[in-house]
Amino acid sequence: MSIISIEDLKKSYRDSEVAVQALNGITLKFDKGEFAAIVGPSGSGKTTLLNMIGGLDKPDSGGIMIGEVDITKLNSRKLIDFRLKNIGFVFQSYNLIPVLTAFENVEFIMNLQGVKREERQKRAVGLLEAVGLGERIHSRPSKLSGGQQQRVAVARSLASRPRFILADEPTANLDSVSTQNLLEIMEKLNHEEQITFIFSTHDQRVVNKAHRVIVLEDGKVVNDVFKNV
Amino acid sequence: MRSLVVVMAIALGLLGGVFSSAVLKGTSDQRVREAVTRETSHIQIHNPAFIEDNDVRYLVDGNGKKLFTALDTMDMIAAWSPRVKFMAMAGSANAGTGVSVIGIDPEKEKHVTEIHSLICDTCGKWFKESRGMPVVVGQALAKKLKVRLNSKIVLTFQDMQGNLTGGAFRICGIYRTSNSVFDEMNVFVNRTDIIPLLAADTGSCHEIAVLLKDPGDAGMVKQVVKNLFPSLLVQDWKEIDPLLGMLNDFMDLWLYLFMGIILLALAFGIINTMLMAILERTRELGMLAAIGMNKQKIFILIMLESVFLSLTGGIIGIILGIILTIYTNHTGINLGTFAEGFEKIGYNPILYPSLNLVFFINLTLMVIAAGILASVYPARRALKLKPAEAIRID
Repeated sequence: MSIISIEDLKKSYRDSEVAVQALNGITLKFDKGEFAAIVGPSGSGKTTLLNMIGGLDKPDSGGIMIGEVDITKLNSRKLIDFRLKNIGFVFQSYNLIPVLTAFENVEFIMNLQGVKREERQKRAVGLLEAVGLGERIHSRPSKLSGGQQQRVAVARSLASRPRFILADEPTANLDSVSTQNLLEIMEKLNHEEQITFIFSTHDQRVVNKAHRVIVLEDGKVVNDVFKNV
Repeated sequence: MRSLVVVMAIALGLLGGVFSSAVLKGTSDQRVREAVTRETSHIQIHNPAFIEDNDVRYLVDGNGKKLFTALDTMDMIAAWSPRVKFMAMAGSANAGTGVSVIGIDPEKEKHVTEIHSLICDTCGKWFKESRGMPVVVGQALAKKLKVRLNSKIVLTFQDMQGNLTGGAFRICGIYRTSNSVFDEMNVFVNRTDIIPLLAADTGSCHEIAVLLKDPGDAGMVKQVVKNLFPSLLVQDWKEIDPLLGMLNDFMDLWLYLFMGIILLALAFGIINTMLMAILERTRELGMLAAIGMNKQKIFILIMLESVFLSLTGGIIGIILGIILTIYTNHTGINLGTFAEGFEKIGYNPILYPSLNLVFFINLTLMVIAAGILASVYPARRALKLKPAEAIRID
């Protein structure tokens, strides 16, 4: 059963006077529990595709069904609410709130969802322990390494109990040890809790860990490989 | 650091605004208070024709005794004083000038006006026993007539029949208010001395000055007296001295306008700071929008920060302003260098800044409103950010 179903997705931008076809008829399906990497050269449409799946941008045509909902048809208000309840994000630059501690950063999204305080606190501590930061829950982002910050970002993305997590170049700013740690944590969460991860990446180490590799070129899927794991 | 600078700018702006307002309000209140306690009192009662013609024949009519009894029984009245009032020529051996003669009952007048307290220790007494008829004159008049304490002056005026009459009076006291024009113009004599010279009935008066326990009751007392004695003209101090009334009413409006202009200028500082803050936090705001923080919450977030900035600076500025106002209200600000000029226009050269609680409450609300208004433009800019682009901005 697919949790994401993309049908003939097209998107173009105007770059100065020239129209750039960022996505040119993408059709894809993602099942629950996938650990998929979207790869391709710069300008191939990886980030645009991730933005579309995440409801951060609207396509020119085509549909994106998440469960039973076509998110391309949702208005701005409903889309924001849909993102809050269904989609987890991990960004390349971590994007943590600098004045909040790791714990507060993770708790914050549950606060937006209206989760009760006791449950919020319990889950935030549990998630930070799951990403190996049980000892650093009261540290501010500035006191954490890049790898640790990205692990907090993963914990935050899981806090809202999303249907899937979109990670845009999550290891781009990390050293190899941090990358290794992060990938192990995400693989473990995928394996043990059936959490769906979709990455856009240039990083071969991520590609090596991925169970499915989708290759984009000029806004089209040129290869879609499922590995045997 | 930037927020601190804005908070300090707001605090200093409001300190300056509050203190300037306190000086203006204090000066205006002082002028009104002095005018009421030395010149007009809260309410005056006249024969309407007296106000039009200023003729000595127009006395407060024959219901005088009934009116006095009514005034005595009204709880809201602190004191009242009957006056005989007319224009006269005052002459000394050296000079002469026109004056307004006010015939009063010294003891009753003491409770209505404070002229008696403005006679210095070496300047005589308020109607002490003296040889002949006593008169209390202003320092400016004494100077003009070149007379001193115990000097004689002659007052010449018309009596009730229009005959020229007059009498010699001995100066028993010299007063000095902060209004040199008033001092030069008004002389006080005993009503019982002047009535026979005017050839008027015993107990006659042209004016009754009424001092209230609470000035706010002026309207009510005025109405009650009017209903009881419809033939009399009853005026409150704002009607008696419209310029003073306007000054008092306009001052409040002016202070709010003044503070409004200061807050408007400060609001631009807040807008600038908030725009810079949004520029700096574009990625954070993009992230918040991406993960599902709705627009109202983002708007409130920015508005609260703006209100917090303005309120922090505002409260500091207001508190400093209150401290400075209380201190200078206690010590006074002596503008003695400009005393002559101030006294010519009826103002005391020692200023006592003052403001009331309502002003501070309203000012705090204005600060909050300025914070909210200043947040609208930056918040709208924040809401226009596209999360997909904002999260990638370095």
